[in-house]
Parts: sequence; structure tokens; C-alpha cells
Amino acid sequence: MSETAGEAKPEVKQASKEVKESENVAEKYSAMTVSKNSDINMGELASVFSAVPSHKPVKKQIQFVEEKQEFSRFPTKTGRRSLSRSISQSSTDSYSSAASYTDSSDDETSPRDKTQINSKGSSDFCVKNIKQAEFGRREIEIAEQDMSALISLRKRAQSEKPLAGAKVVGCTHITAQTAVLIETLVALGAQCRWTACNIYSTQNEVATALAEKGVAVFAWKGESEDDFWWCIDRCVNTEGWQPNMILDDGGDLTHWVYKKYPNVFKKIRGIVEESVTGVHRLYQLSKAGKLCVPAMNVNDSVTKQKFDNLYCCRESILDGLKRTTDVMFGGKQVVVCGYGEVGKGCSAALKALGAVVYVTEIDPICALQACMDGFRVVKLNEVIRLVDVIITCTGNKNVVTRDQLDRMKNGCIVCNMGHSNTEIDVASLRTPELTWERVRSQVDHVIWPDGKRVILLAEGRLLNLSCSTVPTFVLSITATTQALALIELYNAPEGRYKQDVYLLPKKMDEYVASLHLATFDAHLTELTDEQAKYLGLNKNGPFKPNYYRY
Amino acid sequence: MSKEKSQIGSSWEDLAFPEEIPEPFTEGRAEQEDEEEEDTAANDSEEDVEEGPEKFRPKLLRMLEAAESRWTPQTRDRRRGEPSETGLKDSEEEAVKTNMQIQLNDQQEFNKLPTKAGPRPLSLPVSQSSVDSFSSVGSESSEDESAPQDKPQKTSSGLSDFCIKNIKQAAFGREEIDIAQQGMPALMILRKRAGEEKPLAGAKVVGCTHITAQTAVLIETLAALGAQCRWAACNIFSTQNTVAAALAEGGISVFAWRGESEEDFWWCIDRCVAADSWEPNLILDDGGDLTHWIYKKYPGLFKKLKGIVEESVTGIYRLYQLSKAGKLCVPAMNVNDSVTKQKFDNLYCCKESILDGLKRATNVMFGGKQVVVCGYGEVGKGCCAALKGLGAIIYVTEVDPICAIQACMDGLRVTTLSEIIKHVHMVITCTGNKNVITREHFDRMRSGCIVCNMGHSNTEIDLASLRTAELKWSRVRPHVDHIIWPDGRRIILLAEGRLLNLSCSTVPSFVLSVTAATQALALIELYNAPAGRYKQDVYLLPKKMDEYVASLHLPMFDAHLTELTDEQAQYLGISKHGPFKLNYYR
Repeated sequence: MSETAGEAKPEVKQASKEVKESENVAEKYSAMTVSKNSDINMGELASVFSAVPSHKPVKKQIQFVEEKQEFSRFPTKTGRRSLSRSISQSSTDSYSSAASYTDSSDDETSPRDKTQINSKGSSDFCVKNIKQAEFGRREIEIAEQDMSALISLRKRAQSEKPLAGAKVVGCTHITAQTAVLIETLVALGAQCRWTACNIYSTQNEVATALAEKGVAVFAWKGESEDDFWWCIDRCVNTEGWQPNMILDDGGDLTHWVYKKYPNVFKKIRGIVEESVTGVHRLYQLSKAGKLCVPAMNVNDSVTKQKFDNLYCCRESILDGLKRTTDVMFGGKQVVVCGYGEVGKGCSAALKALGAVVYVTEIDPICALQACMDGFRVVKLNEVIRLVDVIITCTGNKNVVTRDQLDRMKNGCIVCNMGHSNTEIDVASLRTPELTWERVRSQVDHVIWPDGKRVILLAEGRLLNLSCSTVPTFVLSITATTQALALIELYNAPEGRYKQDVYLLPKKMDEYVASLHLATFDAHLTELTDEQAKYLGLNKNGPFKPNYYRY
Repeated sequence: MSKEKSQIGSSWEDLAFPEEIPEPFTEGRAEQEDEEEEDTAANDSEEDVEEGPEKFRPKLLRMLEAAESRWTPQTRDRRRGEPSETGLKDSEEEAVKTNMQIQLNDQQEFNKLPTKAGPRPLSLPVSQSSVDSFSSVGSESSEDESAPQDKPQKTSSGLSDFCIKNIKQAAFGREEIDIAQQGMPALMILRKRAGEEKPLAGAKVVGCTHITAQTAVLIETLAALGAQCRWAACNIFSTQNTVAAALAEGGISVFAWRGESEEDFWWCIDRCVAADSWEPNLILDDGGDLTHWIYKKYPGLFKKLKGIVEESVTGIYRLYQLSKAGKLCVPAMNVNDSVTKQKFDNLYCCKESILDGLKRATNVMFGGKQVVVCGYGEVGKGCCAALKGLGAIIYVTEVDPICAIQACMDGLRVTTLSEIIKHVHMVITCTGNKNVITREHFDRMRSGCIVCNMGHSNTEIDLASLRTAELKWSRVRPHVDHIIWPDGRRIILLAEGRLLNLSCSTVPSFVLSVTAATQALALIELYNAPAGRYKQDVYLLPKKMDEYVASLHLPMFDAHLTELTDEQAQYLGISKHGPFKLNYYR
């Protein structure tokens, strides 16, 4: 067990590290959030939607989108951004012990200059060191244990080979979990060429194991920006191989193909995009009428959203707080800012441990939900003097201000589950009269002149990325959603998808969920023919209208 | 007992009324008691008493009606028994009745169930309604046999453009409305906030809903916001005569009384619509009858219509069909599926009523009991949360994998019914499906297993299969039947498979308030929308209005909403005043 955990962690930590650097991304998010809603076509809702002036959109999205963004797909675009920072930062941090055995230190020559051949004689890849394949294989096998959904997808669909003939070019984090995805695609008949969407996130040994298996992988940890684009180019630009599917995370690959090889789009059946940023880019393209293939937004699928936000945060809030502060929750007064999916998860978890939870909200519907769930809805100023813990999950900026920090009681814990590091006005704490004291990794004591201490976690960055882990199960949901989106796009009859951005069809969403039910030993009830007729449903789904709110 | 029952019941329908009667609204008994006191004072005791029951009847009827179709002759016999019991009890103690009544009433509104029940009950002979055992309560009709149509009546201000049972009851109705206002502060806040703007000035609303104290508050709110209203009842039994009288006295043209015939029903609607020199520009409908009538008889009116607001599932279904056929020529607003209303109708309301209903009916203790909940939609989620809170061990059955995985993540075992049926102490259905529990399942249940339905009409439990010769039914108290197998095993069936929350619990006026506020805002939105915002289609309530409904109810929790700063609003790219979420936000 501990082994697995150990291995999973490095990835996560890594990701969180980069999040740190991604602060500036925040503004970008907000911009994209705004435009996004208008483009999404929600069937019946669409009319309402269009009928209503477009002002409304944005906020929600930001809230959850962003979180998820950072968190499930991590610092998607951060990779490149962080390039501006010195690489050394990423190697400085505390996850060092876990990240050890494929460290860049062992070999200083750039992979681009090395000729390597895998055991089958192929040299169409570029990884750090092909000899590490065995380690990587072990990691992949460990990940497979927790990703039974993909494994069962392999089994269920193997005979059909739904991706036979598909040529997928992919750009994602290259980790043990994505390796399971890639190998699943291969098992379903696809040919894959892969590159990393983040210069730091690649697990070298995993990349190697993939290369050894015959997947053309171009990625190593610690690429330069130049390397990054070179890798992408090598993926797309091969003789005698033209991709017909794109699996992207962050939109870089799509961007590159769009700029450099527009002709490739003639053969492309579709793009599957996972990150908020990438989806935003696609919507912009679509608005401008420049999107010439169908694209699938997997980020907003119901199952994925629930896991990225509600379920994952419900666990990581406790985990993160415990790991960093060892606080005991019973009877503590906690204020949760924001009652969206993340806020609901946090509040539920804390309530279960006996904490007294207050909620602040701006949206009356969410506020009413909080009331009905038994939480006091207050303004932050009303309770700021009383509370022991403050958790922000609004997706907004400056929710906790210096003024409020000044009025907190001694020992108050302040942390952020929301969005980048904008929610807490950390900058306002960097003044001479306040003493900062790092008491342990990710935990700072900010000391006021009168001796009052406020405990700031992860410097206001996302607690769940910084001080907790993302369970493989959640990554499994994402990977399965991606795989099914590829299958859907590849097998859709002509004309089902136009040149637009689509949400994953309900039926596929349901299939993702059903693949994961086995994990819980859950037994789904089947409709009888009579019942299906009574409800006017197909026995095999979809079971709900598109606008259903789960 | 059974003998008594059979003697008493001439027709179950009649009897059924008594059951309903007791249902006071959420506001509760206090109201009813008040009413009764007043009644006696006024010598009008009979009528006043009736009012309580009347409110609820519509729903009951619908339910009964829906249920009727499924009953086998045996069932009917049983039914007869029911009413008699209730009747007896009534005579014995008022309090009990009230409770009972409460149970039945709100279903309709709240679950929207057999929305169309209104017209359907029409098929029952009107006379029946006067026959029944709820006589003490329901004597109204006997006092005055002349049809309201034939009686010229005038309000104190000289108006005669209405048709109700007896204008003299207005004072009592006013009391009721005042009480209802206490439970519906949201509408009162709306009056205050929007009273000056008169957002409905010039609106001519023709409405067809239940006419109860709660809807009266809605109607008067509309009037306070500037609208002219003409109103008819959407159900022949649900009208509270006193309330109708109070509305008429207040100057609103109401055409409704309790116990209309089908002919009366349509006559009332026609009178509402076909007034001289008055053409409606908004329709507020519940069930679609009014819309249907205008569509058939006065298609010319649609030219002036700004929109239709429809509340019931049935009515919405009709509208969507019209829209599909391209025959909908005005915008229509589906208020039933608004977020706030849905949450309250299903999740929050059922979360409370499952416990209340089971406790009232069986006094069961939940801790450690094994319960299987069929269906994990909103209702199922509410039931599970409530039961879990009391320490029950919960299993869930689902057909939809997304809901199933939600159940898993909420710590509930997802299983199939046949795997677990032998072990459970309680079975609760909330699927909206039919025959979820079959005879085969019943045969395998343990003795003492409680079976009830929170879902949809009475189709979920296959009752017909239990009406066989070898099984003995024994009614142990109202809404509770023991079904005894030849080997002595007993199954406890609640409310004969009808909705538990309607039969054995109450619908809080808070929930009705959410519905009424949603309707009012939908009218305002349609009336004030700039030309072209709404085409000839069926719309959901705009998110912003939905948020406003919620915000009107927040003061009751003393909840303080945080306001965005300008900077924050800009950062998020949204307006400070909402809408805060995308339409597809879940």
C-alpha cells in the first residue's frame, strides 16, 4: 500500500508545485469563463439561454471550472508558463524523496541528441533513458490496479476494436495514469503518438515503458520550451502517418497543428479537449468560425465534474488540514466561503466531524441550499472574530482581505480550496510589521506585532493540490471520459457532430459512471421492458434529459 | 371492522373525502382550530370547517382517481372500509382527523403528480361528494342547494363580476388568507420590494389554479403589483369557498366553488376568459385546462397574450406537445422545473416527510434498521440523507449509473432489490417507475417489513398482485395495512402504495411559498420581457428569477447574503446582482 501511495504522490506534488507558479493564469481564466457559457448548446435550454441576455454567465464556471482545472488536470497550461521560472524551483521542493529514481541528474545529455532503440528495434520516440522501461512498467501496473474502469473497458470493447484505424495524437501529462489510458487506446485498436503537455510533469520511466511498448512518445521531465514544441512537432510531423484524432490537454497541440499543419485537419475526425483553458480556446475558435472539426469538451461532463469538485474536495479538505496542522475539528467553528460543489463537499465533511460550519454565499440559490442543509449563512465580517478555520472556495478574488485577517483570532487557520491563489489577499500580508515564520512545509505562521498568529496554509494556493493528493480513482474517471469521447467521435455517423464544441453525450457519461461501479461492487438495476416503456426510456440509457441536475 | 366498513361505504370515493378533509396545510392545526372557532361563532360552523378539508381535496382526488384505475374490485372494497374508519375517527376526535388530512393534501402541488386530476374527478357524480361521511366537515353544499350561477351576488362595493358560493363568507376567508400570509413571507416581501414599481401594471392575468388561502396570497400579490386578475379553479373539489368569497370581496373576479360539475368547471373558465371589454394578456395555468379552453374557443385572444405560465407536469407536457407541433403561438414558461422549486418539492420536502410519514404511520425506530431505497434521484437522495441521519443502514437500487455512483460516493451500498429484499426492514420506492416491487419481492420479504412509496402515483408497488385470495388484508389504522401471508408473515403496507408524503405527512407552506413566488416572478418576467426575448416556445424560468425566488426566502433563515465588490464582480465577469451561475450549472 505504502508503495503505491508513494508513487502516486510525486505526480501530485509536482503538479502542485507548478500551480504555485501559475498564479498569473488566473486572470486568463476569468476571461474565458465569461465567454464560455454562451457557446454551450444544451438542447432545450438553449433557447432559454439565447433568449436571456448574455450577461449572466460566468461566475459559476469560474468557480468550478477553475478549480478543477488546476486540480484535476493540474497546471495544464502552467507548464509553459512556468518555463519562465527557473527550473530549479521545481527541484527544490519537499516531494524530493518520492521523485527520486529517474531524476534528471543522472544524465546530463539532452534526449534529443541521443539515439535510442527499444527492444523491438524501433527508434521513433524520444525519452530520457530507454533502459528505465522496467521501472515504468511497474508504475503502470500499480496504476492499473486503481483504474479498473479502463481495464474493464479494454475487456468489454477489445473484441470490437472501436478505435481500429484511429490514429491518435495526444498531448497530456505523461504519468502512470495516462499511460494506462494510452495503452487502453492501443488495446482498442488505435495507433498513438504522444507528447507531454507540461514540461515538468512527465514521469520519465513511464514514458520509457510506453516507448518500449511501441508507442511513439516524445517527452521527458524538465524540457525546455524549445524542447516542448519540438516534441509536439515530432508527434504530428511524421512521414506516412497522419493523425485523425487529437487528444489534448491545454490546447497546445491543437494550436500547433492549427498553426503549422492546417492540412492535417482535413483528416481529423475530432478533438477531445480536457482542460478549461483548452476548452476556452476551442470555444473562441468556434465563435470565430475557425473551428473546422468537431471538438468534445470532456471537462464539463457530469461525472467528471462531480468527482473533481464535490467528492475529491470533500476528502482532501480534511486530509489537507490534518496533514498540515493536525487540527481537531470537533466543535471548531469553521467558515466556508462559497457553497458551490467544492463548498458543499467541504461543509459536509467538516459537519460530519462535528465542526460548527458557517457559510458565506453570493448566489441566493446556493445560499438557500446551505440553509436547508443546516448551515448558517452569514457574511464573513459577522463571524470573522469567532472562527477557528477559514476555507475559501469561491473562485473569486480577495475574498479574505487584510482587514479581515487583522480581525481574526489568534491561531486561526486560513486556507484556500478554490481557485489559484487569488482568494486570499496574501500580498497584503507581505508588510514589514508582520513576521512570517515557516513552521513546516506548506505552513506559515503570520505573526502580528501584538503576538497574534494566523496560520496560512500553502501560501493561499490550493490546499488540495499542495497538501493532499489526487486519488487515482479521480484520474481514472477523467481518463475513462477521454477514452469514451475518442470512441464517440471516431465512431459517430457522419453529420452527428458538426464543426462545433460538444459536451460528452449523456449516454457516454453514464457509461463512464457504470464502468466505475464495479469498484464499489455496486449492482445496477435493469429496467424491465415494461418499465422502460412506461418511462419512455431506452433500457440502456440515457436515463435523464440533458438539463437534469444530479 | 371489515363489516362496518362494508356497511358504511356506498362508494369509496365518497368515503375518501373524509380522509382528505383532515388535511390542514402546513401552517397547521392552529389555523384550523381558529377556523373552527370562528365558525361556531358565526353559526356557520359547517362551512368553515369545510374549508380546511377543501384545500386538500383536489390533490386527494387526483390521487384517488389515479389510484382508482388500478384498483381491482377487491381493492375497492377495501377502500370503502377506509373512509368509514376515518369517519369514525373524525367523530371521535378532531385532532386525529386533522393529522390525517394533513397527510393527503399537498401532494399535488408538490409533487405535481396527477396534475390533471381536476377535470378527471369531474367524472364522479357530484352528488357523491355530498353523500360522504365527512358530513360534519363538509356540510356546506347542503346549506344551499342553488347553483352559484343562478344567484346574483354583490360585493360590498357593488361589484357582481364573480361567481362563488356565498359572498357573505368573505370575512372568514380573509382570516384564512391572513394566516396563510404568515407562512408565505416571500410573497409579502415581494409586494414590498416591487410594490412601488408595479411591475405588472397593465397586466391582465387570467388564472386557473387551486383556490386556497395560499393561492389567494399569490393572487393578491399579483393585484398589489398592478395586475388585474380573473380566476377560476383548476380542480372542482379544491376550492376553499370562503377564500374565494374573500377574493371576490376584494374585487377580484373569481369563478369557483367547491364541488362544481364538469359543466360548471368549463363555465367558470369561460366566464373568466370571455369578459366584455377585458382581454387577458397573461395566463397562469395549472394543468393546462385554461390554456386548452382558450386555444379551442378563443384563439383570437392569443394575439394579445404575452405569455403562459404553467405549473403542472401535465400542463407542461401539453405545452411541449403544442410547441413540437408548431402550434404554440405565444411564449410559455415552465415554472415546474425551476431549480429552487424542484429542490424544495423533491429533495428538501421528501427529506423531512419520509421520517414524518413513517413515524406517524408506524412509530418505527430507524437506528440500525436496514432500509432499501429504490431510486437515487432527488427524492431518493433526500430520503437516504434523512434515514442515514438517524442511523439506518441504507441500500440503494438504481438504473442510472451516474446516480448509482453518486450513491456509492455518499456511502450507500448500491444493490439490486432481489439481492437484498430478504434482509431489509423497510422498502421505500422513489423511482417514478412502475412495478418496482413485485409480488415476487413481497413473497421474499421478512415478516414486519414496511413497504411505502415516495415516488409517483401508486404505480411503483405492484398492489394488484397482492389482492389474491390467500393473502389477508387487515387495516390496523388509517393508511396502514397489514398483509398477512398464509404462513403468518406480515407485510406492513403504507397508504396502499400511494404517496407517503401526501398520505401520511404534510406539505409545509414554505414549499407552497416557493411555488407561488416562482409563479409570480415568471409572470413578471414574461410581462416585462422586451419584445423578442421570448419566442413561441416553452422556456425555463431565467436563472436570475430563480435566484430571486431563493433570495426572497432567505430572510426566513436570517441568512445574510454576501455581496460581490465591484472588483470581484469584474474579476468573475458577472453582474453583482446575478445571475451567478450558468443555466446548465448543476
